[in-house]
Amino acid sequence: MKTMLNIWRISWRNITQNKKRCFISILGIILGISFVTSMLIADKTTNDVFDYYEQMYVADADYWVLSDEHTYSEDDVSSVLASSAVMETLFALDKQAFFELEGNHSPQQRSVRITGVNDQTSSLLKLPVVEGSLDNEGLVIPDTVANLLNKKVGDTIRFTNLGEAEVSAIVEYTQLLASPSDWEGAESTSFRVIAPLDLLREWTEMDNEVSYLRFQTNKAGENLFPSLQKEFRDSHVYIQPVVADDRQSNDIGGMYTFFYLIAGLSMLISGFIVFNLIYTSVMERKKEFAIMKSLGYLQRSVSRLILMEVMLLAFIGTAIGVPLGVWLGDMFMQTFLGVFEFDVVYTLNWKVPVLMAVIIGIIFPIIFSLFPIYTAGKTSVLLALKMTNQSDSSKKQYQFRVVLGIGLFLFLFIDHPVSYVAILASVVLLFPFLLLGLKQICKPIWRICFGYSGSLAAQNLTQQLNRNANTAAILAVGIAVILLLSAVIETAPEGYEKDIRSTYGGDLRVTSETPWSDQDQARLLSYQSVENVELLTEAAPITWENMDGEERQFSVFAVNKEGPKLFDHAEREILYDKLTKEGSILLGERAFTEWGGNVGELISINTPSGEQQLEVIDVVNTSNYSGYTAFMDEDYFHYGFGWGNSFTMLLTLHDGYQAESLRNQLWQDFSSHLAKVEMIEDEIASTTSALSGMNELVLVMLVFIIGLASVGTANTLLMNTLERTAEIGTMRALGFTKQQVRKMIIGEGLLIGLSGVLGGVAAGALLLYFSSKSEFLEGFISFQLPLGNNIVALVAGVSLSLLAAWISSATASKISNISSLKEG
Amino acid sequence: MIKVRGLNKEFIQGQERTHVLKGVDLTVEEGEFVAVMGPSGSGKSTLLQLLGGLDIPTEGDIVINQNKLSIMSEKERTIFRRKYIGFIFQNYQLLPTLTVEENIAFPLHADGSLTKEKNQTILKLLDSVGLKDFGQKRVNLLSGGQQQRVAIARALVNSPSVLLADEPTGNLDRNRAEEILGLISRFNREKNQTIIMVTHDIFAAGFADRIILFKDGVIDQEASRKDEDYAKYLANFMA
Repeated sequence: MKTMLNIWRISWRNITQNKKRCFISILGIILGISFVTSMLIADKTTNDVFDYYEQMYVADADYWVLSDEHTYSEDDVSSVLASSAVMETLFALDKQAFFELEGNHSPQQRSVRITGVNDQTSSLLKLPVVEGSLDNEGLVIPDTVANLLNKKVGDTIRFTNLGEAEVSAIVEYTQLLASPSDWEGAESTSFRVIAPLDLLREWTEMDNEVSYLRFQTNKAGENLFPSLQKEFRDSHVYIQPVVADDRQSNDIGGMYTFFYLIAGLSMLISGFIVFNLIYTSVMERKKEFAIMKSLGYLQRSVSRLILMEVMLLAFIGTAIGVPLGVWLGDMFMQTFLGVFEFDVVYTLNWKVPVLMAVIIGIIFPIIFSLFPIYTAGKTSVLLALKMTNQSDSSKKQYQFRVVLGIGLFLFLFIDHPVSYVAILASVVLLFPFLLLGLKQICKPIWRICFGYSGSLAAQNLTQQLNRNANTAAILAVGIAVILLLSAVIETAPEGYEKDIRSTYGGDLRVTSETPWSDQDQARLLSYQSVENVELLTEAAPITWENMDGEERQFSVFAVNKEGPKLFDHAEREILYDKLTKEGSILLGERAFTEWGGNVGELISINTPSGEQQLEVIDVVNTSNYSGYTAFMDEDYFHYGFGWGNSFTMLLTLHDGYQAESLRNQLWQDFSSHLAKVEMIEDEIASTTSALSGMNELVLVMLVFIIGLASVGTANTLLMNTLERTAEIGTMRALGFTKQQVRKMIIGEGLLIGLSGVLGGVAAGALLLYFSSKSEFLEGFISFQLPLGNNIVALVAGVSLSLLAAWISSATASKISNISSLKEG
Repeated sequence: MIKVRGLNKEFIQGQERTHVLKGVDLTVEEGEFVAVMGPSGSGKSTLLQLLGGLDIPTEGDIVINQNKLSIMSEKERTIFRRKYIGFIFQNYQLLPTLTVEENIAFPLHADGSLTKEKNQTILKLLDSVGLKDFGQKRVNLLSGGQQQRVAIARALVNSPSVLLADEPTGNLDRNRAEEILGLISRFNREKNQTIIMVTHDIFAAGFADRIILFKDGVIDQEASRKDEDYAKYLANFMA
C-alpha cells in the first residue's frame, strides 16, 4: 500500500512538474474523447428518436391483415374478429383525395391521403395530440398541415367531391401522418389526415371495406398467426406481424459508420499525442528508472509508475472530455434533427454512451502507452546509467520502415478494402523520407523566409525524425481520410444518380391506390410523350427474419428478363434464369447485410402465402430503397409468393419530353385513384439532398481533425524544445536572439504542418485514384479532387500548425541562456 | 578592459533568497588570462554568466570595453555578446545537427556576417585547432578533445575581445586538457584576447596570468604571475 502511494506521488509530481506538455496531452485526450462521446450519444439518441417514431407507428398492434388489392371486405377477416386470442382491433381505410383550397395550387399539391379509422383513441394507434381531442367525429391533422393550411381545431376542411369535416385534433409528427411542410414538398408527396371510418365510408360509399385491420393478441396469438396464414393462403388478404423497421426510408446506420470513422481517427490522433508524451518522458527518465531499479524497484514497479501517469492523464482528460462531449452531442443532435421538416422531440440518451466513453477514455491512452510502459520497465540499469547511444537500432528501425512501408504500399495494386488501411500505414512508415525530401526542397525557401533560423529549422527536423515524421504523418492520415470521404460525398451524388438511372426502370413511377387495369395501361401508352409503359409489381410490407432471429420488414419486387431493369449485376441475365428456380430470391446489398447470412442459405419470409424458406441466390446492387429490398421471379411472385396485383406503372418517355408536364397531365386524368407520381429526378433529389448538408459537416470535421493534429504538432514541438534546452541555451549564449529562436521553432512547426498537409493531400489523391479504379466499388467514385476541401485542408493545416508552432516558440524563446552552462 | 564594481547577485526561489555574489570588485586588463577558482556555490560561474551578459546583476556595474552591460536591453546584450564575447563550455555544447564547419560558423550566421573572407577564417581556425580535415564531419563523430577544439574555434570565429571559458577541460583527461589549455594560451598570446576561465583544476589555472579564488560570493584571495610569491602561492594551493 505504501509503495502504491509512493508511485502515485511520483506520477503526480511528474505531471505537475511538466505542466505545459501534460496540458497539451490532456487537451488531446479531451478533444478526442469529447468527439467520441458526442458521436456515441448522437448515435444512441438518433436511434431512440427513430425507435420512438417507429414504436408510435407500431403502437400496441401485433399483427395486421392487408390485401394485395386496394381494399377488402370486413367479412374476409371475420375469423380474426371471432378469435378469443384477439384483444383489440382497429379497422383502417385509405382513400386518396384532394383538398379544396383557395388560391392557385396544382392537383398534386392538393393531393391528400385520408385514413379512416374506427377508433381514434385505440391503443393500436398512437396519436400525440397537441391541440383539441380525439373525439371520433372530426379530422385529425398533423401540425405541419395545420400550419400550412392555417387551420385550427374547429375549422372546416373540404375535400373535392367528398365532403367536409371539422378539425377535432392537431397532432405532432407520426409516420402515419407524415406530410410535407411546404408547397414545394407537396409537389411530390401527398398530405395525410385521419378521419372517422364511418364518415369516410359515407363519403366514398365503400361500405364494409377496409384497407387493413390491425389487432393485438394475448398469448394465444402465437398460434393464431400460423393458422391465419393458412386460412388466408389462397385469398387476396394476407397477415403480417407488425414490425418496427424503417430501414427502407433511412440509412442512419450508414451515416453513423461515417461519423464513427472520424471519431476513431480523432482517438488515433489523441492516442498518438499521449504516446509522444509518455515515450519522451520515459526516454528522459531512463536514468531515474535505472537508479530506482538499482535500489530494488522491480520491472513491474517501474512500469506501474508510468501506467499511473497515463491513468492520471486519462482520468483528467476523460473527466473533462466526457461532459464536454455530452454538450457537443446535444449540439450535434439539435443541428442534425433540425434538417427534418417537423419538430423532432428527443431526450438525450447519455448514460450508456457516457459509460462507454469513460471506458474508452481510460483504456485508449493506456493501449497507446503500452510500448513506453514496457520500455520503462525494461530499462537496463547499466546501459541507462552509461547513457549508451542507440543509433544502430535507429538505423535498423529506418531500414525496417522502408521495407515494410514499400511492402504495404504495393497493396495499391490489390483491389480490396484492406488496401486502404495498408496504404495509410505505408504513408505513416514512409513519412520520414518524405519529410527529409521536403526538408531539402524547403531549406532554401526557409532560408529566404526566416534567415539562418530557417536553415536551422530544416536541419533540426532530422534530430527527432521519427517523432516529427509521425506527427506529420498523423496529420496526413487525418487529412487523407477526410479528403477521401469528402471526395466520396462530392462524387456520390453522381454515383447515386448513375445507380438510380440504371435501376429505376423508367422515367416516372405512377402509383395508384387501386390496381392498374389494362385499359389504364393502354391509356398511359397513348400519351405522345410516353415511349413505354410497364407494370412494377411490388409487395409491401413483407416481413422476414435475419440470422439472429429478429423480425425485419421490406418490399419485394417481381422481376423478369423482359421487364424493367431494377437491379444491377455483372451476370444479371444469368440471375434472371436462376430466379426462375422455385423458391429463389435476390437480396439488395443492405438487406443482405442486415440478414447476415451467406449466398446459398435460406431466408425465412412471411409471404402472402404463408411462411416460406427461400434460397438467397445472390446479392445485387440496386437504388430501390437504398438496397434494402429483394427481388423474385415474376411468375413465382404470382403463384408461389402469393401477390397478384400491381399498383405502380413505370413510364419511359421519348427523348426530349419533360416528365414534369406529363405529371400534371396524369394528376388531371387519373385523379380518381392516383396516389403518387414520382419522377426519376425526385428520387435523385431526395437521395442526394442529404449529402449536400453532409459536405458542410465534413468541412467542420476536417478542421476539427486538423486542429487536433495541430495539438499533436504543438506537443511534438514542445517535446523537441524541452529536449533541446541546453542546445537552445547555447544558441542564445552564442548570440542568437529570442526572435531568431522563435523563427527557428516556427520554421520547424511549419515544415511539419506543411509536410502533413502535402502528404495528406497526396495520400488522399492516391486513395481516391485507387477508389476510382476499384472494381469492388463498381465505378461509384470518380477521380475528382475536392478542390474546395483541399484548399481548406491546406489553409487550416498550415495556419493551425503555425499557431501550434507559435505557442511552442514562445516556450523556446523563454529558455534561459544560462541553460547552456548548467546542462548538457 | 573589464571593470566590475560592487557586483551583487541574488537568486530568489519561493521564500528563499540566495546571495551568490556579494559586492565583487574586479578589473581585468586587455589581453590578461584570468583563472577563477573556488568551491561549488562560491559564485564563480555566476560571475561568468554576468560577464557574458547571460544574466543581469542585482546590483553593481560591469563595463567591458567601455560598454556598460547593466543598462543594455536583452537584445542589446545578445548583440554585444555576438561581437565581443566568445564562450567555451565544459560540455562543449556543439549543435548536433550541424557539421564541424557549420558549428564554427554559427555565431557568424547568427550575426548575418558570414562572407567568403570569413569562410577562409573558419578554414584557418580549423587548421590552427588541428581539425583541418574534419570540416564536413558531424560533431557527434568526434572525440571529446576534438569537440572541445571545435568549441574553441567557434568561440574565436568572430575574433571576440573577451573569451569566457567555463571548466573547458572538466571533461577531458590530463593530456587532452593540456592540449586544450595550450591552445587557449596560444590564442591569448597571439590575438591578445582577454580570457576569464572558471576552473576547479589548479593545473588548468596554472596556465593563467592571474588566479582569483572565490569564497562565499566574494574574492577571497588572488595571485598574479607578476607577484614574487606566485610560485609559492600555487604550491600552497596545490598542497
